[in-house]
Amino acid sequence: MRSLPLADPGTPPTTGPGRLLWWFARRQWGIQTTGLALGITLMGCQALLPYLVGHAIDGGLTHGFGTDLFRWVAALLALGVVSSAAGALGHRYDVACWLRPAFTASELVGLKAARSGHAITAELPTGEVVSAVANDSLRIGELYANLSRFVGSVVAYGVAAVLMLRIDVTLGLVVLLGLPVVAVVLGRLVKPLHRKQAAQREASGRLTTLGADTVAGLRILRGIGGEAVFTGRYAAQSQEVRRRGVAVAGTQSWMDGLQVLLPGLFVGLLLWLGAHRALAGTITPGQLVTTYGFAAFLAWPVQNATIMLQAATRAWVGAAKVLGVLRVVPATGVRAASADSPAPGAALVDETSGVRLEPGRLVGLVSADPDEAAAIATRMGRFDDEAEAPTPVTFGGARLADLPKAEVRARIVVAEATPHLFSGRLGVELDVRGGAGDDELHRVVALADAHDVLDSVPGGLEGDLPEKGRSLSGGQRQRVALARALLVDPEVLVLVEPTSAVDAHTEARIAARLAQARRGRSTLVVTASPLVLEHVDEVQLVADGRLVARGTHDELLDGAAGARVAAAYQRIVGRRLDDEGEDDGWGAATDGTAGPDEDDEHDDVVEDVYARREGGER
Amino acid sequence: MKLPVADAATVRRYAARLLRVHGSELSRLAVLHTLGATAGLVGPFLLGRVVDAITRGTTGGYIDRMVAFGLVMVVTQAGLVRTAQRASIVFGEKVFAQLREEFVETLTALPLSTVERAGTGDLVARTTNDVNRLQHAVRFGVPRVIVATVTITLTTVACLLLSPLVAVGLFVGVPSMVLVVRWYLRRATPAYLREAAAYASINGTITETVEGARTVDALSLGSRRHATVRDDLAEAFAAERTTLRLRTVLFPAIDLTFVLAPTSVLLWGGWLASQGRVTLGVVTAIVMYAYQMSGPVWELIFWLDEIQVAATALSRIVGVQLVEADREESGERPVDDRITARGLRYAYREGHDVLHGIDLDLVPGERLAVVGPSGAGKSTLGRMLAGIHPPTGGSVRLGGVPLVDLPLDDLRGQVALVTQEQHVFVGSVADNLRLADADATEEALRRSLAAVDALDWVDALPEGLATEVGSGGAALTPAQAQQLALARLVLLDPHTLVLDEATSLLDPRAARHLERSLSAVLAGRTVVAIAHRLHTAHDADRVAVVDDGRITEIGPHDELVAAGGDYAALWHSWQHE
Repeated sequence: MRSLPLADPGTPPTTGPGRLLWWFARRQWGIQTTGLALGITLMGCQALLPYLVGHAIDGGLTHGFGTDLFRWVAALLALGVVSSAAGALGHRYDVACWLRPAFTASELVGLKAARSGHAITAELPTGEVVSAVANDSLRIGELYANLSRFVGSVVAYGVAAVLMLRIDVTLGLVVLLGLPVVAVVLGRLVKPLHRKQAAQREASGRLTTLGADTVAGLRILRGIGGEAVFTGRYAAQSQEVRRRGVAVAGTQSWMDGLQVLLPGLFVGLLLWLGAHRALAGTITPGQLVTTYGFAAFLAWPVQNATIMLQAATRAWVGAAKVLGVLRVVPATGVRAASADSPAPGAALVDETSGVRLEPGRLVGLVSADPDEAAAIATRMGRFDDEAEAPTPVTFGGARLADLPKAEVRARIVVAEATPHLFSGRLGVELDVRGGAGDDELHRVVALADAHDVLDSVPGGLEGDLPEKGRSLSGGQRQRVALARALLVDPEVLVLVEPTSAVDAHTEARIAARLAQARRGRSTLVVTASPLVLEHVDEVQLVADGRLVARGTHDELLDGAAGARVAAAYQRIVGRRLDDEGEDDGWGAATDGTAGPDEDDEHDDVVEDVYARREGGER
Repeated sequence: MKLPVADAATVRRYAARLLRVHGSELSRLAVLHTLGATAGLVGPFLLGRVVDAITRGTTGGYIDRMVAFGLVMVVTQAGLVRTAQRASIVFGEKVFAQLREEFVETLTALPLSTVERAGTGDLVARTTNDVNRLQHAVRFGVPRVIVATVTITLTTVACLLLSPLVAVGLFVGVPSMVLVVRWYLRRATPAYLREAAAYASINGTITETVEGARTVDALSLGSRRHATVRDDLAEAFAAERTTLRLRTVLFPAIDLTFVLAPTSVLLWGGWLASQGRVTLGVVTAIVMYAYQMSGPVWELIFWLDEIQVAATALSRIVGVQLVEADREESGERPVDDRITARGLRYAYREGHDVLHGIDLDLVPGERLAVVGPSGAGKSTLGRMLAGIHPPTGGSVRLGGVPLVDLPLDDLRGQVALVTQEQHVFVGSVADNLRLADADATEEALRRSLAAVDALDWVDALPEGLATEVGSGGAALTPAQAQQLALARLVLLDPHTLVLDEATSLLDPRAARHLERSLSAVLAGRTVVAIAHRLHTAHDADRVAVVDDGRITEIGPHDELVAAGGDYAALWHSWQHE
């Protein structure tokens, strides 16, 4: 069997589910055809079995224990061996035909998720993307796995039809037409059952959610009590699932009974017709046995046809869902680049606000509104060409959106305020570009003051980080993300609130080292922390989306940029010193100055500053 | 710390207890299924009789009577199958509901320390995957296994009754089949578990990729994520290949058994018939029985596999019951609200003390800030003071009684711990609040929300207090979630609060909105605040500096600054002086 995943998942058509399914089929026509041949062999052999058994019985009846019986038994044996082999080998091909499209679809979805930037989350809920891999891809595969049995069943039905009609036309017609009728009747009855089962599955799903939710919040629950409330709710939902289950039991048991009754009555009818014919001598006793055997056997191809119908429906739906993911347009880099990359040492400029990052500088970006500063920093990373079109950022004079995307990513790295940590070996997860030695890893871990992480992850750099770095505290996660960004060591590094969850002592240390480590390269830090700002080359103060002042931390504080700027700046960075509630203080009651009133006052000042600047320009 | 997994003997004892408790119902089910399966044996038997009758010569009336008898049996069997299946499913639902409710009750009663340390991943997996696996086996598997076993047994018995001599031919393939099935079952469980784990890991990778899409883009991790997906797929393929190999052995082995059985019956029966020892009708019936048996045998093997998987799930579910309690109520009552720690030590791993003999007296009503470098033991101290973990040395007493000797309900009314962790429970806003006080009136709920300044937005929700929140419900901001947590504290009304960086994960603006909420909760209580911002310390009544598991300095802010120690140095650097 060819190993999966395939070396190249290929480029599927995205025009429609039918085209996609056909694309998968064409790509594996070799194994698919072999699978079909084996399916036909298996089902054909099975169709011949009742015929041979009948002949063996007749042989024994007419010639006793002799060559006639031996011949038919030998044929049965041979047929059995061929059918076993075809069954086992066919199963291997069926699995191959199933896995190849299923895994290819999964990989294509994964590839799309990995290459679309935030477009994927903007357009689809996470659950739907995961379900495209967890369910839909597998459903697509099942179509191809069931195909061989289905085609084999059609052939077997034909073989049985010919053999039965040769024995007796009436008996043949009863068998060939009666079974599908029984299947259709049972199929109709199945609908209400499916409805009730779906109702139970839904209730059961809610129960699972409730259970998972209890556990996810268990640490909190155990801290405050409320277990009884929770177990009570869980028990109520559990009993609801049970009630639904009992409702299913009613329908299900009727269905089970009918599955015995209808084929049973059918076989009874057949036996009665056949026995009278055998008695009249128009068929042999062996042919009566064959008729009985076919009645039992033919239920199988009919069932396979039903399964195929369901599989095809589900594959179609699955293909449509997978296409939903594959059609997502990446947030950046869809258009071909139209500008050449600037030479090293280019300035990065946010044209809208006027914020500039000159080569080799360490700049602090400060705003009264942290969201505003973060938004400016984020667009410097070019995360969404379409959304950022009205707020262009230039790099060495060229618009970021016009540059080759790979070039932008290689030279400019933006680490956002809530960076995501991925599960995997800590050392590998830190080293996103690959190739860093242990020394370098330890250097950036030291730089970000994250030694304690090495202790809390069993195995240190060689140890495994769980999903989202969940075993780490918030502060630890932040420092790991910082170390990761520092290790990339790009020409331009933009950090958004890199130390917001870190204690003062540590923050001071990180800030001092950051300046050292980034010497000679361009760095922009969004922060309002004086501990960081006192280490930057220049602070750029933004208000209402515009750059209003620039200077060193001390200059801005001392009024070199004007008393009003100094007051506004003092308000913002001072907030970190005085304002309790921002972090884990005692609340407003202990601090008469913090509160909404102060907010308003502060906004006024910023407005004044802004108005003055505008006026000056005019 | 990993949660325990029950060993085979414990699981067997547990299953045996279930069987004992439900013995009478189970035997009733077995009787019903047996009767149903007996009626189902009539087809081949009649066929054989008819073949013999025709060979000997008979009348149409005989055939009519035989077929009529057959039809009566079919109707009887259908009725019995219906009753038996219904009873089985209803029984399965009852037993399983009981089992999962018991499990969740155990879960929510786990020692605080276990829950704190075990992490949620393992517990969530047990509550969802393991419970569902077991449910699948109990709901569908157990009835099918009963039916299959009974059918196989009865069919064999029927063959033996018809002619023990001919029936011997049935068993030709059995020894090899038993060997192969044993070989298969020994390997199947780990192989299928590996398969399930591989698929879970693909889903995990996709989830991470989608959730971290921004970070993937920012750090150009696309190729790496793609490679991870490929690695996961390769592992799933390897697992699939392993199980496929197992089936490639199993399938033909069983198929061949059902080729050998009828052919040997035909040959052996044909010879016996030629000797006049049996009739060909009997041989016909047994051949048909042989074919008829392959269905239940396949079903049994399929379910044995699933039941093995379910047994592993059960061992993890029962395992939770093995967690030992970490405390025992002594029945002593605290004399006052004063919390004192003496010689407090704690080690997560034996021999590695995180706290080295801490003495601390909390003054009722005071605000104590705990500061110090990361990893100094601040959070551990906080957990000890809140009675989460029993100390490994020394004691924390409340009014003279060790905290961990208090009944949990009582303890929570006295000391509560608030961490940066947030969780909005699935349910209404009122449900979320009533966790703290099940009997709270709506008036009380509204008062608690008003106290934390959350009443306005709660009233603005589509259905106010009755609005569904949490996973799948209305989305709350982190600040709103934290306000709900604070409102719970108002309802809980403990005299002492331990805040472990309770708002440090909120962005600065959200945190600002929480100021007033927090102050309402803190008013009139003893508060221990573990802080990473020094202004918290500045406004506290006392500051405790924790370094390397010891309190190195303690006292009012001004005194510590005047003393010129570590705290003073830290403060000056913070103040830029």
